[in-house]
Amino acid sequence: MAPRPAVGWAAQQRRAFRFGLLPALIVLAVVTLGPAAYLLVTSLTPLTPVNPDTAFDFSDPLGNYRQIIATDEFWDSVWVQIELSVVTVVTQVLVGLGLALLLDRPSRFLEALRTGFLVPMVLPPIVVAIIWKIIYTPDISPLHQLLAWLGLPIHSLITDARTAIWAIAAADTWEWFPFTMLMLLAALQMVPKEPQEAARIDGANATQLFWHVRLPYIRPTLVVAALFRLIDSIKAFPLIYVLTDGGPGGATEVTNYYAFQQTFNFSYWGYGSAVATLMVAGVFILSLVVNRMGGEAIDD
Amino acid sequence: MIRRRGIAEGFGVLILGVVLLPALWLLQMSFRHNDDIMSASWRFVPTLENYTSLWNGQFPGSFVHSLLASGFSTAFSLLLGVPAAYALARAQFRGARQIGLWILATRMAPPIAFTIPFFLAFTWAGLMDTVTGLALIYVTFNLALVIWSMRGFFAAVPRSLEEAAWIDGCGVWSAFLRIALPLAAPGLAATGILCFILSWNDFFFALILTRTRAMTAPVAIVNFMQYAGWEWGKIAAAGVLVMLPVLVFTFLVRAYLVSGLMAGGVKE
Repeated sequence: MAPRPAVGWAAQQRRAFRFGLLPALIVLAVVTLGPAAYLLVTSLTPLTPVNPDTAFDFSDPLGNYRQIIATDEFWDSVWVQIELSVVTVVTQVLVGLGLALLLDRPSRFLEALRTGFLVPMVLPPIVVAIIWKIIYTPDISPLHQLLAWLGLPIHSLITDARTAIWAIAAADTWEWFPFTMLMLLAALQMVPKEPQEAARIDGANATQLFWHVRLPYIRPTLVVAALFRLIDSIKAFPLIYVLTDGGPGGATEVTNYYAFQQTFNFSYWGYGSAVATLMVAGVFILSLVVNRMGGEAIDD
Repeated sequence: MIRRRGIAEGFGVLILGVVLLPALWLLQMSFRHNDDIMSASWRFVPTLENYTSLWNGQFPGSFVHSLLASGFSTAFSLLLGVPAAYALARAQFRGARQIGLWILATRMAPPIAFTIPFFLAFTWAGLMDTVTGLALIYVTFNLALVIWSMRGFFAAVPRSLEEAAWIDGCGVWSAFLRIALPLAAPGLAATGILCFILSWNDFFFALILTRTRAMTAPVAIVNFMQYAGWEWGKIAAAGVLVMLPVLVFTFLVRAYLVSGLMAGGVKE
């Protein structure tokens, strides 16, 4: 047992730690809580840069929110958002899980291969958007050329209101399935060997082994990965900006894009702030869920 | 078992090939003559003209803006965030859980929520269309990331080493500089690289908060799409240049990215 430091030392140490923590927390507060408060304030005004006086017009604080509730375009954007989020999260989890199960073998070669799967998710999103713009532009698209060569020519997917959202979902899945896949691979490798051996000795086949032994172990990771993708899907921007610009006819206009257009294209700053405030509230609730799930994943 | 491993390895290569194909397509396009791009032929005479025309235009400037904004933001975030992460890892603060939640919420918040107030503040403070302003807004996500990830790395450094230094009369922060920081150096490098990649990859903030003086490379590419009459070869070449630093850095910290990036998902 080492001799204990002097009595005043503990207090002195706490002061030193607080001194290290404080500057970061102050800056973090200024750059995050400050804007959040400011956003809430502007959402209570009919702010528009055309008329500076509107910044202090609090005569109808809930006007923007009333207007949001009464606007079909907003609800359409929420619906498009739900559609896109559900489709991408489900496909990313299923594709990720399928490939993780396929690649979960003790092999140095497969481990080395994983670096390659990082590529789509670390690429600058704008580069991902360009890559898919090329794939979806019939004149120069290898996909369109290949299908034409096979005798199955197709129309442009991103200019058709029925297919545009699926085209975006496909590109988004390409970009993000590696995230769920790599997370699930890591989780699969932490499943202890003994229960798997025991189940195998008891005659369980591969399917039973998955449902009754491995799935329960990886479930917390599965849930957290899905929630992370769900929250990130709310921020989808570059793909939509480059591929469809929210069109055709609002078919791919998610809520984030709707807020962006209302604010920066039409200059309805107060209204856009109110939409953004609602988005922050939604994301914060989801974060609380993630935090709780994350805690459980650790405790298990 | 051996045979099944072989099958899995074969599938792995095949799937990876399909996944990388779109990116490789962009790469080959960047070496094509502009007249060659529309042709269905798979054979072409490679040319560097797309790259030289980028070099002679505005693009190198936007590339430098991207480098500066990402670099400054990363340095500032590390400077503030690393000591904070150390303090959080070593001392029991009341409300540490709330701070964790706050940091998580910052990571999750939609960028549009930050953009509106920052746009107004920047207009007022004269920071619109400046590298400084851009670096500042990147701090919103980088600082949270640094605190989050370095806290994990410091928690992995055995406490006993610093305790021994404290007993020998070393102060908290000199023990931090002499013992904990060098031991967490690989984590520090990985965290810094991750911050740099995240800032470098940003499109949304740069699109709204810059015009010409501080335009970043991702925004410059989109401008090619709108004004340059769809010069696909040039767009492809610019895309390749923008993704190059990211791929190099990813390769450098691949081990951390595979296991560590995910750690954010499973908390600590």
